[in-house]
Amino acid sequence: MKQKIRFAAKLSASLVAVSFALPTTLAFAAEEAEGGAVGIGLLIPKLGEFIPMLIGFIVLWAVLAKFAWPAFIGMIDKRAAKIKESLEKSEEARQESERLLEEHKAALTQAKKEASEIIAAAKQSAECVKAEITASAQNEAEIIIAKARHAIENEKKVAIAELQATAADMTISVARKVIGTDLSTAEHKRIIERYIAEAGSFNEN
Amino acid sequence: MRTNSIQLRAKALVYAEVLLEACKVSDNVFAVAGEFDDLVKAVRGSLELRKALKDKTIPLEAKKALVTELFTGYAPELLATFNVMVEREDLGVLSRARETFNTLAEEALNAIFIEVTTAVSLDDELRQQIISKYSAQLGCGVLLREYVDPDLIGGIVLMAHGKRIDASVTSQLESARHVLSKASVM
Repeated sequence: MKQKIRFAAKLSASLVAVSFALPTTLAFAAEEAEGGAVGIGLLIPKLGEFIPMLIGFIVLWAVLAKFAWPAFIGMIDKRAAKIKESLEKSEEARQESERLLEEHKAALTQAKKEASEIIAAAKQSAECVKAEITASAQNEAEIIIAKARHAIENEKKVAIAELQATAADMTISVARKVIGTDLSTAEHKRIIERYIAEAGSFNEN
Repeated sequence: MRTNSIQLRAKALVYAEVLLEACKVSDNVFAVAGEFDDLVKAVRGSLELRKALKDKTIPLEAKKALVTELFTGYAPELLATFNVMVEREDLGVLSRARETFNTLAEEALNAIFIEVTTAVSLDDELRQQIISKYSAQLGCGVLLREYVDPDLIGGIVLMAHGKRIDASVTSQLESARHVLSKASVM
């Protein structure tokens, strides 16, 4: 590659020299044509003019090759090295970018996976919480219903007991009034006799 | 505490023995026993009377006059003993003295005192039935102290030595009321 560049540089220098010399040659040819040359003679330089021009060209070429070309080649080499370095850096940057991209892709994939796991876990947790809340609510509802039933049953028992007590009180009150007013002395005596016969003993505990 | 109880018991015994001896002289032990019960019930039932009898600012003569006025017709032996209790500020042993007197009186008369409460007065036939039954059961004589309480409606209530036999219509009705109020409803 470096050799190609050198060759290209030398070739370009030759072309520069030629391009520098050609107008001079053409100028000489034009002057000769004005002097009387025609045809192909217009293109072929005269030897007396050609030699000095060739020597000048060679001298110029040598000077350029000695001083200009090395600097130019050095600059080209530096530039090539810099470009190569830039290319290498670019390649490294590209590879780094690709590596980072892969890492990011992997991280993204991992993140997606973790996010999926988190979502799945959250869903599962939510299901568990939902189930627990539902079970708790059902349990509490059953307890409340049981308590309510128990309270209702108690209230019912109390109401029945009160009703029974009231009915008993009324019944006994009526019986007491009926018996108290209707008993004659003879009936009192019969009752006392019967109770004396049925009454227990003071010796009993 | 124990010493105090023994002292009170001893005091009650002294009062009971003195009263019993006095009653033996006049041969009214059983009647005085009944009056003693009434007197104790009257004193227990009246806070004002107890306060008046314990009030040291009231002269003793006034207290005796009050006792005589309240318990007119009671045996003089009983009133004299009670006045001594008031004078010596021993009303705290009144109930104990009554119990001791009853025990001593029963021993002296060889009989058990039975309180009989009925809704109407007993006739001789009923008295004899009661005496016969409980003389046979207790193996000694029986002396009846009769009370009339119309609230019993009918039947009879007997009490002796702190034991009570309730064969009254009121108690039967109360039992019936209890059974009715506790009966289960289907």
